[in-house]
Amino acid sequence: MAVSKVQKKKKAFSILGNVYAVIIYAILYIPVAVMMMFSFNDQRYNYYWNGFTTKWYGKLFENSALIGSLWYSLIIAVLATLISVLIGTIGALGLKRFEFKGRKFINNMLYIPIIVPEIVLAVALLIIFLNIGTALGMGTILIGHCTFCIPYAIVTIKGRISGDDNSLEEASMDLGANRIQTFIRVTLPSIMPGVMSAAFLSFTLSIDDVVMSNMLAGAKQSTLPVLILSMNKAGVTPDVNALTTIMILVIVAAMILNNIIKSALKKRQNKEVAI
Amino acid sequence: MSKKLDDNSDLKQIGKKRDVKRKTLPALAMAGPVSLWMILFVTIPMLFIIYISFMSRGVFGDVVYKFSGESYQTLMDATYFKVILKSLRVAVFTTVLCLLVGYPFAYYIARKPKETAAKLIMLIMIPFWTNSLMRLNSWLLVFQTNGPVNSFLQWTGMTDGPITFVYTDGLVVLGMITNMLPFAVLPMYSSIEKLNKSFLEASADLGANGATTFRKITLPLTFPGIFSSIILVFIPTLGIYTVSDMLGGGKVLYIGNIIKNQFGSIRNWPLGAALSVLLIVITMLLIFLYTRFASIEDMEVV
Amino acid sequence: MKKILALLLTMGLTLSLTACGGGTKDSGNDAKEPAAGGEETGGEETGGEEAGGEEAGKEEAGGGEASSELNIYMWQQYISDDLIANFEKENNCKINLSYMSDNADAITKLTAGGGDEYDLIMTCDAYMESLVAGGYVEKINFDNIPNASNINEAYWTAKEYCVPYLMNYIYIVYDKEKCPVEITCYNDLIKPEMKGQISTIDGARNLFPIALIALGYDPNSTEESEIAEAYEWLVKFNENVVAYGNAEQNLTNGTASVALTYDGNASWAMAEMGENNTLAIADFKEDAVQLGFDLYVIPVGAKHTDLAEKFLNYICDPQVMAGNLEEYPYSCPNEAAVEAASDSYKNDPARNFSYKENVFFQEDVGEALTIYNDYYQKLKVGE
Repeated sequence: MAVSKVQKKKKAFSILGNVYAVIIYAILYIPVAVMMMFSFNDQRYNYYWNGFTTKWYGKLFENSALIGSLWYSLIIAVLATLISVLIGTIGALGLKRFEFKGRKFINNMLYIPIIVPEIVLAVALLIIFLNIGTALGMGTILIGHCTFCIPYAIVTIKGRISGDDNSLEEASMDLGANRIQTFIRVTLPSIMPGVMSAAFLSFTLSIDDVVMSNMLAGAKQSTLPVLILSMNKAGVTPDVNALTTIMILVIVAAMILNNIIKSALKKRQNKEVAI
Repeated sequence: MSKKLDDNSDLKQIGKKRDVKRKTLPALAMAGPVSLWMILFVTIPMLFIIYISFMSRGVFGDVVYKFSGESYQTLMDATYFKVILKSLRVAVFTTVLCLLVGYPFAYYIARKPKETAAKLIMLIMIPFWTNSLMRLNSWLLVFQTNGPVNSFLQWTGMTDGPITFVYTDGLVVLGMITNMLPFAVLPMYSSIEKLNKSFLEASADLGANGATTFRKITLPLTFPGIFSSIILVFIPTLGIYTVSDMLGGGKVLYIGNIIKNQFGSIRNWPLGAALSVLLIVITMLLIFLYTRFASIEDMEVV
Repeated sequence: MKKILALLLTMGLTLSLTACGGGTKDSGNDAKEPAAGGEETGGEETGGEEAGGEEAGKEEAGGGEASSELNIYMWQQYISDDLIANFEKENNCKINLSYMSDNADAITKLTAGGGDEYDLIMTCDAYMESLVAGGYVEKINFDNIPNASNINEAYWTAKEYCVPYLMNYIYIVYDKEKCPVEITCYNDLIKPEMKGQISTIDGARNLFPIALIALGYDPNSTEESEIAEAYEWLVKFNENVVAYGNAEQNLTNGTASVALTYDGNASWAMAEMGENNTLAIADFKEDAVQLGFDLYVIPVGAKHTDLAEKFLNYICDPQVMAGNLEEYPYSCPNEAAVEAASDSYKNDPARNFSYKENVFFQEDVGEALTIYNDYYQKLKVGE
């Protein structure tokens, strides 16, 4: 009797949880759905729904500036993510594990890019770059992005490191593994979810950044968000929506493909085991 | 006795040496890159900002390199106090909402099998790979005067005329939450996921009910994640301005707007710099108080 | 502790000087190439050598001789793609357009010393005085721009340093059916029945002049007492405002019934509403409206001045500009081009108003700018 009550409760909770999750995802996806819908809007700018057309998809492929800026954004985002996660992961461990002079100082420094409005750091970096003669371009944007991605990465990863990993590591080293082996075999797996979160966050921050990119961009190429921001005054044309729609579809397709391949591999593995 | 003591100190000595060897190099290798990066691209620019904040504004909006405390004097004006209070209020409100909405959601995901959880996390992130301005604009399109929500409400007969949703505080809050939610969910997820299931089972075995287990075990153990979430949501919200600009119709200025304007259209860089310094001091103070209040020994618990 | 800090900082400083070159190395040849080029040598032409035939080399491969590319920083959706393409074809060059999201963007880049990244920068007349005084812009050699004679000289400020491109009236356009008041002067905007009806442009130096005119003062007043009175006026105005910015969108989707906006935006909004257009320009009797120019300047240190001048001459050509106006129907100071433009441009209802001569300009108000900004902040922060 008691058991069934508990089970009932559990079931109710899981239903409630699912409903809750659906609502949250709906709130997150409504803007995206609207954005995708308006890629079919027959209007010069997206002010309201004015009828169906697919012409923007055609226009999109003529608009080389738009596609070029998307590639530029993607390259920067991927590089910024790699750099930030690399420096962030080992940095989080280093700052958490080791006592050294100035550690507190660095820890405090990490908060600064999160605290100050981006424009402040962007202007300061701009002046410094120009004064030392660094030309603006992908390099400067990348430095700007990493500067705010690294703190986010470290905060996220640090939340994942705990004391008991330390003893595991010591055990691993006592058993004869060296530091690097320990890092790869023991430390990294235990903080992996944190690292993944950090990577997601960094990529997200970089791909959507406007302020840094706007200030630190050179004359030849700007990122997609900067292009969109500059359109924002008059209105965003639906071909940008078309581009976003294609991007989302590609991501979803990649995810599905990834799943299919993974499950296929698993099946094969299971078969081999069975044989 | 004395010999024993000697032995002990010898051992300590050796231990220390081994420690140095074992720790200095790795410490340098691990904490070095991030320290260098922070010093080069945060400390130096920030020192420059502090330096500028003590300079004066030229007639044509350039920075005149002559010492002046004028910018800090300007900050004494009641307007800035009000702005900061207002910004703090919005930031607190957004953070609390994000935590309340985000924690159960993070919990829900963390209790799923690992692969499912990874997919669910991915699903949170995908919308954020699209442009935030366009996402905000989508809310305008949904809620605008002759938009779908208003049409629906009028069609069902719930209202006679259109309701003005756009450029209201409610829409700003919605925009804030949808923009900041992943920053709340990800750290909490990471923390909850780490939570050892056996603790919870033990607690249940010992007769604790769900609420007690949550209060006594889950919540304290996931506190580092909650702390990260608070930092990641609260602080950026304090400086954010795009959401209120777009969804609030630009009617209200927050500290972020003011700093942006000083560096942009108004071109009073010394004042903008002084405001930034003030913002940093306030935030650092809040973090400090918070860590003390929450009895975290050091900020780096994060 | 202080000592350590100082040590770290000096260490950081020395490192920053040496490391920045190295730091950018891994992050792309984009940054590396011009850094090596130096300032006096003129960058790109010599850059090919250092770029080592990587991606950057490709960009340079287009042409060996001087000025095969032109870097322009301007507004998005403000110049015809065809115009750009034709100019590129005729001069066998590549135009790199990058876009600002705010007039302040261009000013910030210029003030920070980044002007030499560009050959032409778009800004507006209100900024010209300080840009010239600050030494940020080059004098233009008008011998190379004969077509500039087409431009109406009446409104041309800082003539040696800029070439006007298009111009904007900031006036009032309203929906005749929805707006509760028929608007004939600025004071109509602060009537209580206008609550929540107005969509307006933003900025202290755009809105204060309107208040000052409504009160009968000089729109560029430097008297604090007058500005304070204007502030009180704007407080009432602010209560009627539904949103700052997005005038076109708010007019066409029914959020606002009145807009204080540029004539170009009004033109779009009217075109958007097509046959059902109920928008009308306010019939002002006395109050002056603001007229502003978007113009091109050549920043100090620009590397492709010759091509920049060719471009300026090209856009001043009546036929070329007339074609551009077809796509971007804004007011234009180039009278020959307006003459050559199509009937649909000439008959645009958004430019059909009688008080085109009754205009004022934003002038530099010197130290008083701080007073304006303080009051404007107070306005937006509220009591």
